[in-house]
Amino acid sequence: MMHNVLDSARLCGHITRRNWAVYRKDLFANISPSLADPALIMVSLGLGLGSYLSNVNGMPYMNFLAPGLTVATTLFTSFFETSYGFYVRMTFENVFKAMLTTPIGPAEVVMGELVWVGLKGLVMALGVSLVLACFGLASQPLLLPLVGLMGFLVGVACGAIGLISSGLIRNINQFQTVYSFLIAPLYFLSGIFFPIEQLWTPLRWLAEVFPLIHGVRMAQALFWNVEVVQTLALHGGIVLVQALVFGSIAYRVIHRKLVA
Amino acid sequence: MALSLPVVSARGLVKAFGSFTAVKGLDLEVHKGECFGLLGPNGAGKSTFIGMTYGSVARTSGDLSVFGLDPRKSARAIKKRLGVVTQDNALDESLSVRENMRLYAAFVGTNARVVDARIVELLEYMNLAHKADAPIGSLSGGMKRRLVFVRALLCNPDLLILDEPTTGLDPAVRHLLWGKVRELHAKGTTILLTTHYMHEAEVLCDRIVIMNRGEVSGHGSPRELIAQYAPGFVGLFDVQQKARVTEALSVHRAEKRTAPAPLETSSDFTFHEDASMITVRGPTLESLSSFCSARGLVPSQLRPSNLEDVFLKLTGQGLSDDA
Repeated sequence: MMHNVLDSARLCGHITRRNWAVYRKDLFANISPSLADPALIMVSLGLGLGSYLSNVNGMPYMNFLAPGLTVATTLFTSFFETSYGFYVRMTFENVFKAMLTTPIGPAEVVMGELVWVGLKGLVMALGVSLVLACFGLASQPLLLPLVGLMGFLVGVACGAIGLISSGLIRNINQFQTVYSFLIAPLYFLSGIFFPIEQLWTPLRWLAEVFPLIHGVRMAQALFWNVEVVQTLALHGGIVLVQALVFGSIAYRVIHRKLVA
Repeated sequence: MALSLPVVSARGLVKAFGSFTAVKGLDLEVHKGECFGLLGPNGAGKSTFIGMTYGSVARTSGDLSVFGLDPRKSARAIKKRLGVVTQDNALDESLSVRENMRLYAAFVGTNARVVDARIVELLEYMNLAHKADAPIGSLSGGMKRRLVFVRALLCNPDLLILDEPTTGLDPAVRHLLWGKVRELHAKGTTILLTTHYMHEAEVLCDRIVIMNRGEVSGHGSPRELIAQYAPGFVGLFDVQQKARVTEALSVHRAEKRTAPAPLETSSDFTFHEDASMITVRGPTLESLSSFCSARGLVPSQLRPSNLEDVFLKLTGQGLSDDA
């Protein structure tokens, strides 16, 4: 039993390593959107619009906006990796067809992909945080390494949502529907751009079902240095549960795709 | 050989995809050390069966064991001892030749200290050593196929599955791969081969099962199959000669009926026509050639029956006795 679990973990590690080996070949191109997008938002919304907003939740808009951008980066990094990225690997590049003739099974494929997006989420969230901290937007920079933890958890949970959509769509164009009706609303309505309390209550409760809003609260607690422990415990716990739930649904859906 | 546990054993194996049943109660055994061929037209259920052996296709009912293990429960243990030349190359185009092989060596658990040496050894074996650091996209079709063989051999498999290994390759590459397969067979590797090429099966296989529409329609060694289903010789004619051939046959048959004693050439001839040619089958080369010369027919080919004739007969696509 234990041997099997270790074997599984080793195989997951190889899938993660495979994705890294491919990713690193085009590192600059792969990393650019993750860093350029938050920078653009910071300039346009933070500096531009923000100059008219001096008091959002008792702070300048730049400071309000900063933590949420780390979560947004994590969302896009992980969702795109397990939606378009995974779908192309599975359908067009046939990467898994031969893998599945080796000791790797669908469980290792799903776990390996999720660990990969978790690590990507971790690194991206951390990278964006460090840049923002350089602009003095974090009140306690020593807390920022913990943003990486948020990045990992949110990365896995959002990655699982991406995998689920990869398993359900009938052709690659349908990701646009998932993007328009799920990912974009999550991005705009999870408390990144305005205080979540302002959101119409039924919508807010709907947002609570998804990992983004909890990631935003974690990042805000870390950037603003308020109620850090309680927030990480509660919302980190919720994202962990969501990651497990979405992850197991992803396993079922992808299993059906990989095993006829 | 038959005394030891079969490497692969299927009993009443069924696979249904919704209302379509791809494999309908398949029974077969692959024994240790043999090269076993699974032949059949497209859609016969060959690849579905192959997928079931390593757990990529879940069976609907029946029994299946590989190395005495059930792929439904012990897929990983089975796959550790299995090498598969997949029908699609499915090579990782984002990685180089060596990176591909390192990744797969890691998957099958090759000892890290010997992995590079093992890769070089197998690349040399398949005449690919000079391409070790090339991107996959720069390889020719034949090179990619040889690399898929390297990938399948990384784990030193006890069972090597070749799923249409030479489809789309030129004769030179095909012959090279046949040579390698025979070497592996001679070393005692058990081989399970699916192919559309009857000559390939005839050259490589000890035993053959011909599948059609999910069922076994014939089994035996290539010689046994030919002797049972398509004995004798065939003459091939251009389709434009159809009228002349059918006329000659009917004259021949009428003479045979009226003849007081059987003529030397009176044994039964059968006639078959498909889109590309007319085939006349007879019991001996002499009978067939004297029939042709007596009727002034010039066949494009006169040859012994082969597995292709058996295949066409068993899969309902030829040699019907409708002359």
